[in-house]
Amino acid sequence: MLVIGENINASNKLVAEAIDNRDEKFLAELARAQVSSGADFIDVNAGSGHGSLQKAIADARWLVQVVQAAVDKPLAIDSDAAEVIAAASEEYAGDRLIINSITAEPARLESIGPLVAERQASVVALAMGVDGIPERVEERLDACERIMTYMAGLGVNAEQLFFDPLVLPIAVDTRQGVVTLKTIEQIKARYPDARTVMGLSNISYGLPKRKLMNRAFLLMAAYAGLDAVIFDPLDSKAMSLIKVADVLTGRDPSCRAYLRAHRKGDIVD
Amino acid sequence: MSKDTIAAIKENVIQGRKTQEDVGIDDTLAGTPGVMELMEQALEDNISPQSIITEGLTAGMEVVGEKFSSKEYFIPDMLASAEAVGAAMDVLKPVLEKAKVETKGRFAIATVKGDIHDIGKNIVAILLKGAGYEVHDLGIDVPAEKIVEFVREEKPGYLGLSALLTTTMTEMGVVIGALKESSLRNSVKVLIGGAAVSDEFAREIGADAYCADAFSAVRALDSYQKAS
Repeated sequence: MLVIGENINASNKLVAEAIDNRDEKFLAELARAQVSSGADFIDVNAGSGHGSLQKAIADARWLVQVVQAAVDKPLAIDSDAAEVIAAASEEYAGDRLIINSITAEPARLESIGPLVAERQASVVALAMGVDGIPERVEERLDACERIMTYMAGLGVNAEQLFFDPLVLPIAVDTRQGVVTLKTIEQIKARYPDARTVMGLSNISYGLPKRKLMNRAFLLMAAYAGLDAVIFDPLDSKAMSLIKVADVLTGRDPSCRAYLRAHRKGDIVD
Repeated sequence: MSKDTIAAIKENVIQGRKTQEDVGIDDTLAGTPGVMELMEQALEDNISPQSIITEGLTAGMEVVGEKFSSKEYFIPDMLASAEAVGAAMDVLKPVLEKAKVETKGRFAIATVKGDIHDIGKNIVAILLKGAGYEVHDLGIDVPAEKIVEFVREEKPGYLGLSALLTTTMTEMGVVIGALKESSLRNSVKVLIGGAAVSDEFAREIGADAYCADAFSAVRALDSYQKAS
């Protein structure tokens, strides 16, 4: 399973401050810590919401420069504004890029879709349209179908798509965990060449012992067919469980990756 | 007897026990009548709806609010209590209408344009309904014009605006600007909430209050109500 490290996100106050103060050292360290914990991609989100679009663009450009200078891992450029994504990906010199994210909303497909095609990037595609997060599996799949059709029209392959089934806080509605898991299963069944990704930590919002709940849901999602996860890679137990899940779902032939990680001392129980 | 029933309603709200079948936060009241059974009893005994609301339902919800703020209670605990209160209010509604008792005030709530998050908004709506306000939920992704129109036509005393995204919170300022342009700003208290916003942001856009969680929305409205 691919791990996309989520920690460089301006919705975290410390990160927002570091971006405002151009604190390169803090952010570079945050990137390095995630890479040394095993992250495959580093998500970068510079959007604090304060100030103009110009500021958002300048912040995102600067942040991409800082992170790619600090680590040798590909980036996921995270924004819902096409202008920010376009500017940030201009700064990005790597050849593997994830754009995070699009939805089935026509305006978002029209503005961000061409950027994905042009950069031959991968893209996180949220299983929702203009009416918010659908409560039912079928409606989420409908959104995926609309995205698939539109992106195919731009020459984007299924392999470039990471469908996000969407994770809602289980504290608010305990039926929604299964909806997410079933959506993953169905996406994998319908589009064998596309991949799935989800932001993990939303599941445990509003509940105690969140990490425990995150880890348990991660394993269930792995069984349902999850290919990538956006979360805090500094959670070493969850990182170990990802290796375990790869073994148990037949994605780690002969357990070699698991044993390599064990010999490096990276597996904790 | 009536005092006992009201006290029991309060305790069962704190326990989040809507009916006899609910176990509750812990199992100390398990098997005893829940809020709905007690409501039936209270109405049979001709206890005034006002006492049921203030000394039973609202008093119970206040304790729940304290426990939520101190992190003893979690979201599902709060929702269970709010659901019990909401169900009780549905039972009381015809009684209140018949007795021509007015609600504590009218509250409209919306997630602003461009934002489709509704969980926080819904929790605020449930709690305020439970606290005795008449709640009008305008939905998600609501354009400023529609909000202004509602304020003009329906004249709510309070307006709640929700946004989860840093990209949509600025829309709250747009709504306040539109209210000013229509000379409606002084007719309504505007409260804002959502993950992206803050006290500072509320001041920046000229909102009346920032509410960190649903209970602070209840407290804010209650304080306005007392002052009026």
